Amino acid sequence: MNMKWLNIKVLLLVCFAALSSVVYAEDTDSIEVWRWDKRTDWHYDGWERIKPKNIKMQYAGGMGFMSFGVGWEYGKTGQWNTDNFIGFLPTAYSDKFRLIFTLKQTYTPWHLHVKPQFSIEPLLCGLYVNTISGEEFWEKEPGKYPNSYYNFSTKLRFNVFLGQSFTYYPKSNRYRAVSFFYELGTNELYIVSKATNKSLKWGDILRLSFGLKLQIFYPHNKD
Amino acid sequence: MQAQNTIDMKLNYFTLILCAFLSSCDMIEYHPYDTDIKGDKNINERNIKLIEDKMANKTEFTFAVLSDTQRWYDETNDAVDAINKIDDVDFVIHCGDISDFGAKLEFEQQRDILNRLKVPYVCLLGNHDCLATGQAVFSRIFGEENFSFTVGNVRFICLNTNALEYDYSHMVPDFGFIEDEITFYPEDCKKTVIAMHSPPYSDQFNNNVAKLFDYSIHQFKNLLFCLNGHLHTFKAVDFFSNGTIYYQCPCADKRQFLLFTINEENYEYEVVEY
Repeated sequence: MNMKWLNIKVLLLVCFAALSSVVYAEDTDSIEVWRWDKRTDWHYDGWERIKPKNIKMQYAGGMGFMSFGVGWEYGKTGQWNTDNFIGFLPTAYSDKFRLIFTLKQTYTPWHLHVKPQFSIEPLLCGLYVNTISGEEFWEKEPGKYPNSYYNFSTKLRFNVFLGQSFTYYPKSNRYRAVSFFYELGTNELYIVSKATNKSLKWGDILRLSFGLKLQIFYPHNKD
Repeated sequence: MQAQNTIDMKLNYFTLILCAFLSSCDMIEYHPYDTDIKGDKNINERNIKLIEDKMANKTEFTFAVLSDTQRWYDETNDAVDAINKIDDVDFVIHCGDISDFGAKLEFEQQRDILNRLKVPYVCLLGNHDCLATGQAVFSRIFGEENFSFTVGNVRFICLNTNALEYDYSHMVPDFGFIEDEITFYPEDCKKTVIAMHSPPYSDQFNNNVAKLFDYSIHQFKNLLFCLNGHLHTFKAVDFFSNGTIYYQCPCADKRQFLLFTINEENYEYEVVEY
């Protein structure tokens, strides 16, 4: 199992490397088709910078059954993205109805425009922290416990993830782009468990989630 | 052209990976503290029936005691292997702390390891199992916090004693349950064993009622001994200086479990290393 995961990772890495070098090479010849990143042209003025740039919907991933978020992209190629999500756990999957609030930071180093209206983001990576509603959960141990009794927070979860996304840029002006993404992630409790047990495999602690990202605000054209 | 080929290949590869991911539903998790349990549930009730049927009318039997296996998956695996190698073990009692963080995944993973036991087992509720939604998960996967069962002519009473987790919002230990067990004690039972996670005078126990607890459990017919976990080392203590010994099962990290044999006249125990 371990080897299999390693193999997939290595293969993906090789794929990205190969593809990136090809794209770089093509870049100088036909810049219109193989543009490294179209989004450098996307420019926001003044107060528009603080408007949310995208909305997201994500399934699973420790953020709730479904979660809905708004995101802000920034950086020269929009490589940074900060999201706020609200997720929920219906009573079918939880002892009580619960809300989960997530703050998420994603780094997207590359956008490979494989077709004029289609791009692949071969790597998404990031962190998110979330908190869950309910008095059963605490951030710090309640005073009734002796000092450092449990030494962790049941309310806050710290997660890391790697993912990929596929983006379609429609010709219509209604919205800018729509992406499908998936992520493999885990949280700090599972990492600690994996680190202290040889019998736990990556497959035992990695969790899959996927979602849609809709880039809602069309920027000004800098013509 | 070369670029296009690479990309097509890559797309195919992505599709393949994606299909593989989607088919592995085990990797979908809504929240670590959700109660969306995959796999086996209601284990105590099912296993108690197996134990009672198998052991009916027997006057001599052997059982193993495990406890505090939380986040020691390697050791728990080894313990299961070690118990499976012993031929005359009839069943296993786990004295609680199956999970470390109270997370659903921990209960599932520990359950999957314990399910490799060749003999039926029951699990008690530990204090770590009460964290967050832990008890909701415990009750779905294993069962009630207080329960009892009969092995031959011996009555086993398993109690939740983790009072610190409840802020007086819950009866721990539940004297109502103990009273009912005394009132409806099966006629053909001659002896009693009490199992719990946190022993009297530990940080978790409601120590104001420790002596009342001791008094109550002595209302059972012929109390042989008590079993507990929680403090991670082996100990045999007579807390109330009345001859009732509390045998404390070591945690999985110590790579030890207890093996008890109860016969017509007496009982024996040993600490087994693995």
